[in-house]
Amino acid sequence: MWAKTITGNFANVIHGLNVNHLTDQVIQRSKRMILDTLGVGLLGTSTEICHKVMQYSKIYSSDTSSTIWGHLDFRLPPLYAAFVNGVAVHSMDFDDTWHPATHPSGAVLPSVIALSEAFSQKKKISGLDLLLAFNVGIEVQGRLLRFSSEARNIPKRFHPPTVVGTMGSAAACAKLLALDQLKCKNALAVAASYAGAPLANAATQTKPLHVGNAAKHGLEAACLASLGVQGNRQILDMESGMGAFYSDYNPQSLPTLQSYPWLLDQQDVAIKRFPAHLGTHWVADAASLVRRKLVGHGNNLLPLDQIEKVVVKVPEVRYVNRPAPTSEHEARHSFQFVACSALLDGCMSVESFASEHIHRAALRELLRKTRLEHPADNEPSFEDLYCEVSVTLEDGCAFSGRCDTFYGHWRKPLRKEDLEKKFQSNASQVLSAEAVEGIIETVYNLEKVEDCSVLSTFLSGQSARALSEKLHLL
Amino acid sequence: MVYLTLQKSQKILASSRQVHKTATHVVASSAPEETVTSSFASFIHGVQPKHLSKAVCHRSKRMILDSIGVGLVGSRTHVFNIALQYCRELYSSAAVSSVYGKPGIKLSPTLAAFTNGVATHSMDFDDTWHPATHPSGAVLPALLAASQMLPPSTKPNGLDFLLAFNVGLEVQGRLMHFSSEAHNIPKRFHPPSVVGTMGSAAATAKLLSLSTAQCTHALGIAASFAGAPMANAATQAKPLHMGNATRLGFEAALLAARGMEASPFILDSIPGCSGFSAFYSVYEPKPLAVPSDHHEFLLEKQDIAFKRFPAHLGMHWVVDAALSVRNLFINYAGCFSSSLIRTIVLKVPVSKYINRPSPSSEHEARHSFQFNACVALLDGEVSLSSFTENSIHRQELRELLDKVVVEHPEDNVANFDKMYGEVALLLHSGDVLTGKCDTFYGHWRNPLSRESLLKKFRSNASYVLSDEKIEAIIATVDNLENLSDSSQLACTL
Repeated sequence: MWAKTITGNFANVIHGLNVNHLTDQVIQRSKRMILDTLGVGLLGTSTEICHKVMQYSKIYSSDTSSTIWGHLDFRLPPLYAAFVNGVAVHSMDFDDTWHPATHPSGAVLPSVIALSEAFSQKKKISGLDLLLAFNVGIEVQGRLLRFSSEARNIPKRFHPPTVVGTMGSAAACAKLLALDQLKCKNALAVAASYAGAPLANAATQTKPLHVGNAAKHGLEAACLASLGVQGNRQILDMESGMGAFYSDYNPQSLPTLQSYPWLLDQQDVAIKRFPAHLGTHWVADAASLVRRKLVGHGNNLLPLDQIEKVVVKVPEVRYVNRPAPTSEHEARHSFQFVACSALLDGCMSVESFASEHIHRAALRELLRKTRLEHPADNEPSFEDLYCEVSVTLEDGCAFSGRCDTFYGHWRKPLRKEDLEKKFQSNASQVLSAEAVEGIIETVYNLEKVEDCSVLSTFLSGQSARALSEKLHLL
Repeated sequence: MVYLTLQKSQKILASSRQVHKTATHVVASSAPEETVTSSFASFIHGVQPKHLSKAVCHRSKRMILDSIGVGLVGSRTHVFNIALQYCRELYSSAAVSSVYGKPGIKLSPTLAAFTNGVATHSMDFDDTWHPATHPSGAVLPALLAASQMLPPSTKPNGLDFLLAFNVGLEVQGRLMHFSSEAHNIPKRFHPPSVVGTMGSAAATAKLLSLSTAQCTHALGIAASFAGAPMANAATQAKPLHMGNATRLGFEAALLAARGMEASPFILDSIPGCSGFSAFYSVYEPKPLAVPSDHHEFLLEKQDIAFKRFPAHLGMHWVVDAALSVRNLFINYAGCFSSSLIRTIVLKVPVSKYINRPSPSSEHEARHSFQFNACVALLDGEVSLSSFTENSIHRQELRELLDKVVVEHPEDNVANFDKMYGEVALLLHSGDVLTGKCDTFYGHWRNPLSRESLLKKFRSNASYVLSDEKIEAIIATVDNLENLSDSSQLACTL
């Protein structure tokens, strides 16, 4: 069977090889390798590093367990709770985005919450502890992103959450675990060895694993460091350390702790209004503008038949350029899809990515008339990009709209009511109204919460009444 | 009601913040940091709640709220369900897979693979191939663990196991041929963490009999789990690279088996959006011949090197060269005497991470031309015990190390197929004795004999297993292709 791609070809070979293909020499040599490896492995079990990982691995048969957000019915060990919740956060590309580009919170929040639950018997973690650890995780990511000029633009090689996100998670967990300086260094060193996933899996179902893994691996690195595992103490300094992920790498020391200047203070995040790649948010706002010009403010239908062509001016970003997406993952990474969807419906929402919507005849027809243009002045950076959508009718009339800053971008942040509305809409899909409001209250007052396990309890969907009884005792 | 209760706790918190303040005065006066890494560690360690500004608190709480909401709605997605099912099954109460040398302990399959992978590379004693990687440690632990995971009715036989193992090797070898960078001793990413993860995914996919589509996705997912930087070589963290390669490749196959999908172009070259090419600066992928009657496995043309002592492969040339010049020296002077030596010149290829004049840990010692040459000169052999604390810090060894000078002749390429090692002793008398090694014993050009391989195995295994068990493993592997249930191999460990 001939495959069109090398990847497909590899899969065919892996699948198609059978025992008859093994030659005597190959059998003989591979048996030698197997024997040698077994011996080396057996010997290796007596090493210190091996004792530590065995100790670590046994943790997963203990009782410590953490919440799976939205699930009361079962729990998982912290590592896998962090993984699963991290996957959930990025599963629809609905999570926050920063500049330089990454999705900072999804890599950190799941691991710190999962970890905080592992303490519950032995020690209380306050809301302020959680908030501090969270911010350490965000800050480290932001600082690392500034070590390379490549990071300022929308990525091409490694998916940033897997590079800096893993490091941020490790830092945050190291903070929560109150590791000493040496162990903090080792947490970073070990985490670097888990970092880095290629961009090609963006727009596929695997992309959410990137954030899940960043959270999980950062937590694992911190745990291993806490057990004494050591790595390269200059991991951030060396080209063969974090530098491996960039072609230009210029690390700098952090400012001193006296009145520490947090990056989040200088540079806010963007919060998404609908679940798709951030670049498409400019497109949606521009397209909505054009639609209003075409049909006015009423609920009139778009005059599809009269449309000759749609031109969308965006920067050149290969993995968001998809003229005819077929899956929800592809649709979330398609300038063209969001332009047409917004033109047809007036706005974008969670439902815009449902299968029926992706495959609508009207949408497919409009997609066929759509093309992208990449003006030279349109930089592929979330700080600088813009979008212009123009629709030309058969009669020659043209309507266009431009968006420089979409609502939700850091230059135009979501208002409190809208942030809450997004949360309520999302959370109410799996939690009761009480739990939804409970989380809002708790997070708004996080720095005053004495025991942040109350957050986890709400997250698991436990009854709010049982909860407030718990709170009264504080 | 919730809000009132929270207000009450404010008072308690306010007083605890007082305690924080006095404590942080001590922390504030820190010495200037030497490295960027230390500065990060100091920050993480030293930063306190009081450092959080209002804006930062406010913004980060918004982020937390949004993130939770997004996660909650995300828990209804298909990808989430796969991940969840996967994790639940991983942690079923029946831990089924064996751990090397620990008959009483079983772990969940991927953690057993992780632990055994770490064990395999823990002393840098495992096999090495050309182009450079340590192929077996990335594949064997996953297969052993997987074989114990499968239900009795579908246990793969020995031949299936051997085939899956070779699929894992073959994929690694083929991938390394995609980049000229891979031919030389690595500088950026540690090869087992790049190709090893892919090999593990391929091997496990084979053992689990995944469909072609699932094999494609296993490779795609595995790429997202690959890649660790070289800087952690020569540290205690390096063995984790192997543990993770075998464990994560295994996880990729398990996820693919449950329907997880990834990019079907992961090995292809797509400008502007890197797949597996992300790990190389030059990348030229080529298709594999689809097996008809005959498939030429790379292992047929290119054998493996086995190590005779637990150190980086490059050390083996230098040690053999040192041993030969030591013999010359003994003939010359009657016995080995450091005081007669003025300078020791090592001629080796350029490779920063194995050039260490004065290693202080066992991990550094295993990655030091200088150390291995001197131990060979001093002791007449390099063995396990050469890397103990006592051995590393010996006075006579330190004295010898001080005499070492390293040179990098242009014709000495940093490549395991072409490099050589030369050791020259410049004596106080003015005489010069030289030893050179082009091919050490154990290299693929001069493979270990069966006796030598068995000697190494018996010596290693005897640290944790009885003689009976040792002989049982040897017999089982010898007869692997005739074994009806390959999980028996894992059970013998």
